Amino acid sequence: MQPELQANLSVLVAAAAAVVLALVLSPPRMSRSTLVANGGAGLAGMVFIAAAPSLELAVLVLLALGVLHAGAGGRREFAVRLRGPIAAAALLGLALFFARVQGPDVLSRFAAVGLAAGLAAGVGLLPYIHELDPEEPAALSPIVWIGFVGPVLATAVVLRAREVLPAGAGGAFGAMLIGLGLLNIVWGTVASWRTEAGAAAWHYSFVADWGLALCGFGLTVSEGSSAALLVLVSILIGRLPLYLASRQALREKTPTERPINLVVAAVLAGSAPFAGFAARVLLFRAATQLYWPLALVLALLMLLWLPGSLRLGQSLGLPRGRQAFGVGVVVALNVLIGLYPLPLLSLAGR
Amino acid sequence: MVIAEAAAAFVAWFGASVIVLADGRRGVALGLALTAAGLAFLAWPSAGVGAAIVIAAGGLLGAVVRNRSGPAGWVIMPAGSTPRLILCVAAALVSLWIAASVTSGDGAALRFAVLCVVVQMGGRLFTTRDPSITLAAVAALALAVADTVAIGPNSSGVAPFIVAALVAAGVMFVRLPASNAA
Repeated sequence: MQPELQANLSVLVAAAAAVVLALVLSPPRMSRSTLVANGGAGLAGMVFIAAAPSLELAVLVLLALGVLHAGAGGRREFAVRLRGPIAAAALLGLALFFARVQGPDVLSRFAAVGLAAGLAAGVGLLPYIHELDPEEPAALSPIVWIGFVGPVLATAVVLRAREVLPAGAGGAFGAMLIGLGLLNIVWGTVASWRTEAGAAAWHYSFVADWGLALCGFGLTVSEGSSAALLVLVSILIGRLPLYLASRQALREKTPTERPINLVVAAVLAGSAPFAGFAARVLLFRAATQLYWPLALVLALLMLLWLPGSLRLGQSLGLPRGRQAFGVGVVVALNVLIGLYPLPLLSLAGR
Repeated sequence: MVIAEAAAAFVAWFGASVIVLADGRRGVALGLALTAAGLAFLAWPSAGVGAAIVIAAGGLLGAVVRNRSGPAGWVIMPAGSTPRLILCVAAALVSLWIAASVTSGDGAALRFAVLCVVVQMGGRLFTTRDPSITLAAVAALALAVADTVAIGPNSSGVAPFIVAALVAAGVMFVRLPASNAA
């Protein structure tokens, strides 16, 4: 099997699980057949991105996927929906250009900037946060990029950056990812805590999680990439399905304070024994190995997850019937991965 | 050959500029066709004739399909186009400087064309809300991304060019949402 595909295997499995969980927790505004079709198309595109033998091919698949997603409908204008993927493709295209031309060393640094910016634009992170319409169906909203396609895209870009960039620029790329990660952590956690709109709070919480993933990718030790992988998996089978489950309660504005809401808040905050906790421990180890003050900064920033997560946990409402079952499965999966992440890491060749 | 490559690079830039400056389907289709022709010619020396034919075919098919829908006519440089014109000129000047002066090696014309098209199409996206123009920009961008393969040592073969041609032609067949269709 191709190393790129294998590195993405656990993320792809998690994405497939996310589609199934989305069906269980499916928002009432979208029929299940549409959800299966959209999720299946997205999954197929993700497999193509993961299996693409070069970054150019991955960028072209991203463009095609972006057009298909924008053409699927939704409340926002077609051109607006396409801005993220096209900006990502243009920035990654520039990165490939600067990586391939001969010239002074600074050009490879430009390539690193293009890769980091393209990744952020494709996923929808600061400074390229996609426009969110809370009334738009989840499968047609920017959550698709930040919560579903993004993990595979990011893993593919980061893996191929090592092939494209020379060693010196690789270090600069890592540093940029850490910088972007810290920025997204601060912005995402504070905004998800302070913003008035419930849907926007969820959107920003994805941004915060992505900050951790970027820091993990930027730390060029094996624990760092393992941490990033666990964060991405926790987004796919934790935050994304819980967001889908909360959409009805968000519309009805019925915050509740039951035990399940506290458990969900703990899942979202990355506390023990859930998947986010294992990711944070690995991230600490990686940061300590590389530069211990970074671990200190990360520890302080991780406290910022608490207020936002408590708020998001309450916004879930009181799940009943099929939704309660779905939320239970999500919590169980996160406990399983948090306690025993090794099979998932082995699947990705780590 | 150098003069032919320079002419092809000019054609690619001119085509991308027409996509940037035009709001009508004829203008956008012509721009896409010119961009594809220029990029195809420039890909030929290092990527081979197969890649060039594939790029040209994908771009031309996309242009033909693009000419069937969207706002009628040419509508080149409607009122308020000054920022777009500045984008075209600035992209050309900066790309020329980078391709000819900052970078080195053979294929300066290809470097100029790729950089120009990527920057102009990225910029075009933020100046339009028309789906048909957006799709033309996507098609030209896909062709330019594939042409980056021809800049360095090519280890990917003709595959990126085939995929780019499929994207450039295929996106034109995407059914636009009713509220967005022009």
